[in-house]
Amino acid sequence: MASVHESLYFNPMMTNGVVHANVFGIKDWVTPYKISVLALLYDMTATKITLPERRRLNKLILPLQQGPDLTLGQFLKTVEECCPQAAYAVKLRLHEMADGELKDMEYFFSTLPTPFTAFDSEAYKTSVVGLFMRHMLLAYNKLSFSQVYKLYKSLQHYYHSHYAKPADGQAGLPALAADDSDMDLTSTEDTVGDRMDKEELDGPLHESELRNDNNPSRGPLSQKQAEYFLARQAYLLKNDENKALKPAALQEELNNMLKFNPDFAEAHYLNYLNSMRVQDIFLSAHSLLHYFDRLILSGNEGKSNGDEGYGRSLRYAALNLASLHCRFGHYQQADLALQEAIRIAQESNDHVCLQHCLVKLFPSSDPLTSCRCSSRMDGWFIMPQLIPPHLFYLASLGIQSLVQQGATQGKTAHKLMDALKDTDILHWKHSLSELIEISLAQTTSIWRMYGKSTMALQQAQLLLNMSSLEPVNFGVQQNNTEAFAVALCHLAELHAEQGGYKHRLGLLSLSEILLHLKEQFPPHSQHAKLWMLCDLKIQFERHMNEGKYHLAEPLVTAISALNKTEGLYRKAQVLKALNRSTEAYSILQRLQAHCEKTKCTEVVIRVMLSTAELHWESSGFSTALPLLLQALALARQHHLQSLASESILHLAFTQLMLGVPEQALSVLHEAIEPVLAHGSVMDKGRALLLTARCQMAVAGFRPNGHGRADLHLAVLAVDTLKEATAYFSKLSCKERLRDVHFLQAQLHHALGQTSQRNKSAMLFRLLDQELQSPAPPVSMRL
Amino acid sequence: MKMAALCSEFGDLVQIKKQLISVISLCKERGLLHSAKWASELAFALDRLPKDELPPSPPFTEDDAQDLDALTLAKSYFDLKEYDRAAYFLKGCCSQKAYFLYMYSRYLSGEKKKDDETVDSLGPLEKGQVRNEALRELRVELSKKHIAGELDGFTLYLYGVVLRKLDLLKEAVEVFVEAIHSLPLHWGAWLELSNLVTNIEMLKSLSLPDCWIKDFFMAHMYTELQMIKEALQKYQNLIEAGFSKSTYIISQIAVAYHNIRDIDQALALFNELREQDPYRIDNMDTFSNLLYVKSMKPELSYLAHNLVEIDKYRVETCCVIGNYYSLRSQHEKAALYFQRALKLNPRCLGAWTLMGHEYMEMKNTSAAIQAYRHAIEVNKRDYRAWYGLGQTYEILKMPFYCLYYYRKAHQLRPNDSRMLVALGESYEKLSQQVEAKKCYWRAYSVGDVEKMALLKLAKLHEQLNESDDAAQCYMLYIQDIFSCGEQLEHAEVSTALRYLGQYYFKNKLYDEASLCAQRCCDYNDAREEGKALLRQISQVRDQIETPSADLFAPLSNNNTPVRRVSPLNLISFTP
Repeated sequence: MASVHESLYFNPMMTNGVVHANVFGIKDWVTPYKISVLALLYDMTATKITLPERRRLNKLILPLQQGPDLTLGQFLKTVEECCPQAAYAVKLRLHEMADGELKDMEYFFSTLPTPFTAFDSEAYKTSVVGLFMRHMLLAYNKLSFSQVYKLYKSLQHYYHSHYAKPADGQAGLPALAADDSDMDLTSTEDTVGDRMDKEELDGPLHESELRNDNNPSRGPLSQKQAEYFLARQAYLLKNDENKALKPAALQEELNNMLKFNPDFAEAHYLNYLNSMRVQDIFLSAHSLLHYFDRLILSGNEGKSNGDEGYGRSLRYAALNLASLHCRFGHYQQADLALQEAIRIAQESNDHVCLQHCLVKLFPSSDPLTSCRCSSRMDGWFIMPQLIPPHLFYLASLGIQSLVQQGATQGKTAHKLMDALKDTDILHWKHSLSELIEISLAQTTSIWRMYGKSTMALQQAQLLLNMSSLEPVNFGVQQNNTEAFAVALCHLAELHAEQGGYKHRLGLLSLSEILLHLKEQFPPHSQHAKLWMLCDLKIQFERHMNEGKYHLAEPLVTAISALNKTEGLYRKAQVLKALNRSTEAYSILQRLQAHCEKTKCTEVVIRVMLSTAELHWESSGFSTALPLLLQALALARQHHLQSLASESILHLAFTQLMLGVPEQALSVLHEAIEPVLAHGSVMDKGRALLLTARCQMAVAGFRPNGHGRADLHLAVLAVDTLKEATAYFSKLSCKERLRDVHFLQAQLHHALGQTSQRNKSAMLFRLLDQELQSPAPPVSMRL
Repeated sequence: MKMAALCSEFGDLVQIKKQLISVISLCKERGLLHSAKWASELAFALDRLPKDELPPSPPFTEDDAQDLDALTLAKSYFDLKEYDRAAYFLKGCCSQKAYFLYMYSRYLSGEKKKDDETVDSLGPLEKGQVRNEALRELRVELSKKHIAGELDGFTLYLYGVVLRKLDLLKEAVEVFVEAIHSLPLHWGAWLELSNLVTNIEMLKSLSLPDCWIKDFFMAHMYTELQMIKEALQKYQNLIEAGFSKSTYIISQIAVAYHNIRDIDQALALFNELREQDPYRIDNMDTFSNLLYVKSMKPELSYLAHNLVEIDKYRVETCCVIGNYYSLRSQHEKAALYFQRALKLNPRCLGAWTLMGHEYMEMKNTSAAIQAYRHAIEVNKRDYRAWYGLGQTYEILKMPFYCLYYYRKAHQLRPNDSRMLVALGESYEKLSQQVEAKKCYWRAYSVGDVEKMALLKLAKLHEQLNESDDAAQCYMLYIQDIFSCGEQLEHAEVSTALRYLGQYYFKNKLYDEASLCAQRCCDYNDAREEGKALLRQISQVRDQIETPSADLFAPLSNNNTPVRRVSPLNLISFTP
């Protein structure tokens, strides 16, 4: 019966109802590793060591004292690198103790130089070494008889487990090798069970347990080791998830750790982080709350409101809960938790926490919240110089979010850039690398939005090539932030626009960028959606350009899963391309209404352009005009250059169709420059094609090839077409190539260049055969 | 008739008694004291057997004869808790009995050493590493024998215990079931199995031997799984079948009543139990909880003093004293005694939770949180600890944070109104009125213990200007308060009456309004308003009577008689 055995149980660690991990208030415990360090220190003070070696050893002392417990092998190796002689001495001393009797260990402790007597040695009472020695002596003296015995046992185990395995240090001590056979017998008491297990129970039943027992790393970790492990994993999770343990493996480690020490609260926190990785809301919420329940205990030093004490952890508990809900997209819940955190922080005058809370409000993707806080921030937007110094972090974030808002609402560009510049000064002054990254990514986005691809490219490259200001730990730089993801996505899209699908000299290919994104941000991670959408968009564009509409269609579903508006827009585009105009039209109408409500200007303009294209198909060129003018006005108002030039192209085409090619040509002149400078390859091709057609129209060509033509202009048109061919062939946009060849053939015919005409005609014929679909009248598309 | 049927179902009571007597001696020989105690208690409740009916002692085999001396020696060492010594002398014995005792002493020796080790651990992390080193060897040896089929019921039980301690729960369940099949009368095996059964589906999937003892197990399981109604039914059947004198059953029924908060029934049973078995300490902590809830100071004080006289170093005694101090508002002392209980047995769930409550009273929230967390660690399904955690955070003014804990508690006790009311209050603080309303209504529907849900719901409706709903809730509330008969301290009948009076007045139902106003005058805090309302009503009535009667007709039609509850039925109650 359970109660029979457990009635014996008595827990001395518990005083005042609280289980103290630490009975005597001693931070340090004597462990076999510490004894080895002591032996090293002792030998350093006792023996003569050459100066360079001593210097190297001195440098080693602090990391050895403060670091996690090492195995004997690791320890000896480290020491050996500095001074083989000292390593040998330590080994000898340990050997004396481990293979001797208990009295040898006791003797060792009694011979340690007492820091109070040795005035001139390193072990003087106030020195680092002396302090450590005093700690150890105190801790040792407080041990009870049975604890001393246990310490001795574990020292033996520590020493012998090093020799049980073939160790690299063995050669240095040949005398000891002979003893190994004896040691095996004494040391491996608890592995005997293992062996029996293996022999007796190879059945499938206990495999899991066996695996645990056999793996040496499974053993319980010491406090320091555990802390180190947790710190490392947490750091890796934050900075480079791929280098951290896999979620399942990490979970297993943590379970193991918690099994051995349920009081180890930090493990719960890591558990929370780990569960977030696999999107397990139940477990992560549970671990988070558990962690903070635990934390509240450890930090209860009376003060409930001050900077320390558990009032503080309460605030952060609420804050963390908010971020948890935010991460899982429960914005309402997150808002409530955040309000709670803010209220507690305000009540206890904790501006640091308050700052964190408010900061948390900004990036939350809930449009409502971010709207509200940016209005709160409006005052600061005007005078960033007057911000109190401890709030600059908050202020910069506020400005950044305001800039974002301002950009979408059509604030003037110079104001935005000014604001960003001001905050940048602040960031650099305080070396806030995180904010610098965000700021750069934001600038990239803004330039892209304005349609200045060169500037965007430059900013993205700047961010990616910038070396982080943060200290680099564990060989990992923090580069899995959202800023990096955004910059990389922009880079990918820019590459795609320039037709960089395949590897080209000196430039990263698109697929390489995407591959990097996929590695850096695994699909389950927080920012993975960014590149997923980006990838899908690029693929979609590519299929559309190549005229493979059936391939583009399934992508629409995927896009809508990630971004509904974008998905709808793409759907309309596919429908339009498939000549299902009515459906496309209704979708576009719906989309326009929705976007005007949510103030998505970019999409509104694009929708207008698409609608105008639909009008063309029904030859409603004059009805398309007002729409296009409206789009142009909107684009100009919001400084969206690429969209503005796109509108102009549409406008020119409409004019061409309405029979005023001269007008069209003059309008085109306005747009051709920015398009060639910043536009995508597709845009460039289209613009040139349109120009050529305008030129032909002005020159007096008729589609049927009759009439008299202005030969000078015709030659110009030939050149333009040739250029357009280059662009289109880069994208392998065959339908348009076919059009171009058709026009080329006509021009050459008119110019009387028969061989070239025949060549163009042949190309046209080849493409026409390949495409199979009947060629639409050339006139009908831009 | 029914009696006879049950008797046949349970076989002959005489037969049962015989079985019990033989199993008692078996358990005693093997040092399984608790099982022996349980069986003896049950046997005592049955009628005495005549001399010639007594079961013969089990056959004495050659093996037994061979091991007799060693076994006798080892058993005496075992009884003196010298386990290693017992094991040493039993080594090499071949009889089943000796083998069990041999393994059992090794197991207990390991457990004892483990507990002693905890005191001498070399650091915080090593504390968790202390484990019973003997377990693994025991498992290897036992599993070998298990595969060979050489284990009897007792050794199977021990094997199961070893597996459970090694956290191999699935295997442990199988072995326990096997142990039960081989020796159904060993209650310890059933009890161990009950600790491993987590839900009703699992319980149903077990194949258990068809024995009278199975009914005891099922009843126990139902209590554990909070299926109190079924448990009570089972125990009732057992009583009717002839176990009416068993103190075990009485105590179990009392605990079951305690679990469904039928306090009076439980108290009566406990009193009966104490009469029959005045020196009993088991379950007395539950009894003291009941006394505490009822604020029966003298009884609790008597119980505490009595138990201290019997044995002051028992977990139950400490809990009773803790409750006693708590009732006297000496919370420091109460906490001290709960701590003492925990020192005696750190896995004592109730004490952790109660200690949490005490710390809450002392406003030491962090210690309270720790205590509750420990309780949860011991048993994740302890709804009181989850509820307590929720309360703690509520006191710390973190209504959103405490939602999680209340939800957990609610999950464990879906039909407990207290959690629902707490949830509702938190939602109300977060101004999530819709959720709050749902919670309150649900709390009322499952049977509100504290009679607060309706009042809160009504106030919520009042805040949201949903006057019809508010009036209806107040109406229900008043009925509820009066129908339960007893005076509740926090009852706010006057608030309800005041609101109803105004409501009827606004809807021009002057008769009802004046009735409510009159009742208002019975309460001190609402008297003035009641009078004022009465005056208003008479004024309005005077005005109405002067103009023509046709004004009155449309007014009365306008009202919604459907929503309205006639207040006339109030007359039958007196406040």
